Amino acid sequence: MNKIKSIFEPLRTINPRTMLLLIVAEAAVALIAWQLSGGGLIPTPDKVVGAIGRIFTMPDFIDNLFASLTLTVKGMVISILIALVISYLSIVPFFQPITRFIVKCRYLTLTGLIFLFTLLTQNGHQLKISLLIFGIVPFFVTSLLSVIDGINKQEYELCTTLRMNSWKTLWEVIIIGRLDQVFEVMRQNFAIAWLMITSVEGLSMSEGGLGVMLIKANKYVQLDVVFGLLVIIFILGMAFDYILGLFRHWLFPYTKLQTR
Amino acid sequence: MNAYTKSHVLLSAENIHLQYGEKVILRDINFQIRNVHREGVHQGQVVALIGRSGLGKTQLFKVLSGLVPPTLGTVRIGSDQHPVKAGQVGIVPQNYILFQHRTVYQNLRIGLDHSGVELNDAEKKRIIEDYAATFELIDHLKKYPAQLSGGQRQRVSIIQQVLTGNRFILLDEPFSGLDILMIDKVIELLLKVSTLHEDNTLIVVSHDIENAAAVSDTVWLMGTEEGKAGAIIRKEYDLCEMGLAWKPDIRTDPKFVGLIDEIRKGL
Repeated sequence: MNKIKSIFEPLRTINPRTMLLLIVAEAAVALIAWQLSGGGLIPTPDKVVGAIGRIFTMPDFIDNLFASLTLTVKGMVISILIALVISYLSIVPFFQPITRFIVKCRYLTLTGLIFLFTLLTQNGHQLKISLLIFGIVPFFVTSLLSVIDGINKQEYELCTTLRMNSWKTLWEVIIIGRLDQVFEVMRQNFAIAWLMITSVEGLSMSEGGLGVMLIKANKYVQLDVVFGLLVIIFILGMAFDYILGLFRHWLFPYTKLQTR
Repeated sequence: MNAYTKSHVLLSAENIHLQYGEKVILRDINFQIRNVHREGVHQGQVVALIGRSGLGKTQLFKVLSGLVPPTLGTVRIGSDQHPVKAGQVGIVPQNYILFQHRTVYQNLRIGLDHSGVELNDAEKKRIIEDYAATFELIDHLKKYPAQLSGGQRQRVSIIQQVLTGNRFILLDEPFSGLDILMIDKVIELLLKVSTLHEDNTLIVVSHDIENAAAVSDTVWLMGTEEGKAGAIIRKEYDLCEMGLAWKPDIRTDPKFVGLIDEIRKGL
């Protein structure tokens, strides 16, 4: 009884086993509710599972999956490089207005810029990459700037007392010292890239991708396939999140440590 | 035991005044720290800066280290009494800031790398290990700061500054939040650092009167004057002259107890 009470208590820490049980139970309830309420337009879980099986046997699924993954990874790598340069430059007063503008670009809608990007790029691939980068970079920069803003002033003072010049301070405190947090920002923003990928893939369908598969399934009202694809995209996203989390702890072991 | 002489000035403050906008923080701060010689002992200097919370002790601390330029006045250091520059005075903040992404060894190595002394890797390793052994950190060199206790972090922080070659080290509230056993260890540590080199000068900023005075040879009492804005050094106690310096069992000395009482009333 106390255990049940504890899961409804604010700020209560529960053990990992109980948390796992809670996740499994809530997922089961959600699936049952879905199964019972579905059947009309929305396909039920058993139909979605059946559709996932069919998707895996589709001849172009693997190609489409790799097209999406390649585009996402390429877009992410370029975006993180651009965002890092912009963020590191933000500590130089001259570049601050530019950085502030880029941060505000989060409020620009991509739809209005598609025509401009179509004119500026040479092919569909470039168009998709450009839109992906343009969509991700402002979010990356915003997160990275908050990492830089959150640095304790005493760390800079420590560098001064250790006679480090401003370049060494930049290297030690902002670049090397926050690499683990850059990785975390990348992990969190990977979700945005993954979310955007299916949208930008629809702009140029010749290269394929999961987004193209979704558009085609929507066009022919194959809602079980649409849901199946969404589940695959969702599971892949979670898998990447988990893998990147593991990588972070492996590359930066000190991130797991708690200050006593 | 207390035979000593005081020679040239090592650190001085002349008419320090610090003001932010209309708010006066520090006013007319003047003092000198002279080199203390004790026969047969490498004796550095330990000065306690005592005052109530919120007076501006930390601001004075930053002015002395060159991190914050005073509105008026000059802080001078060294035998040649040149104006202080940031990087010439070490700081050990209350929360013992270290590079969290570096191991203890790497944190200490950074200090040594910026000491201005040409040393090869093997020599640096030997020096770091020597200090680590002296300050009971040898088993922790491969650990990250987050794996250390508060006392261990404090030691790393102090040694890091010592390895940089800074003869002047400012310590902000080194006894804060420690139990009595840990305080004794910190006092032991400070005495050890002060006796590493004749010129080593520690300035301990604290509101813990008894412990700060027990480890010091000079006590500055910081306070304000009625009707005047800004903190000043209201009184200086020369504990060497009073025969109260460098005594391990000083706390039981009635004269010391009386002094603590006097300082407490003067706050």
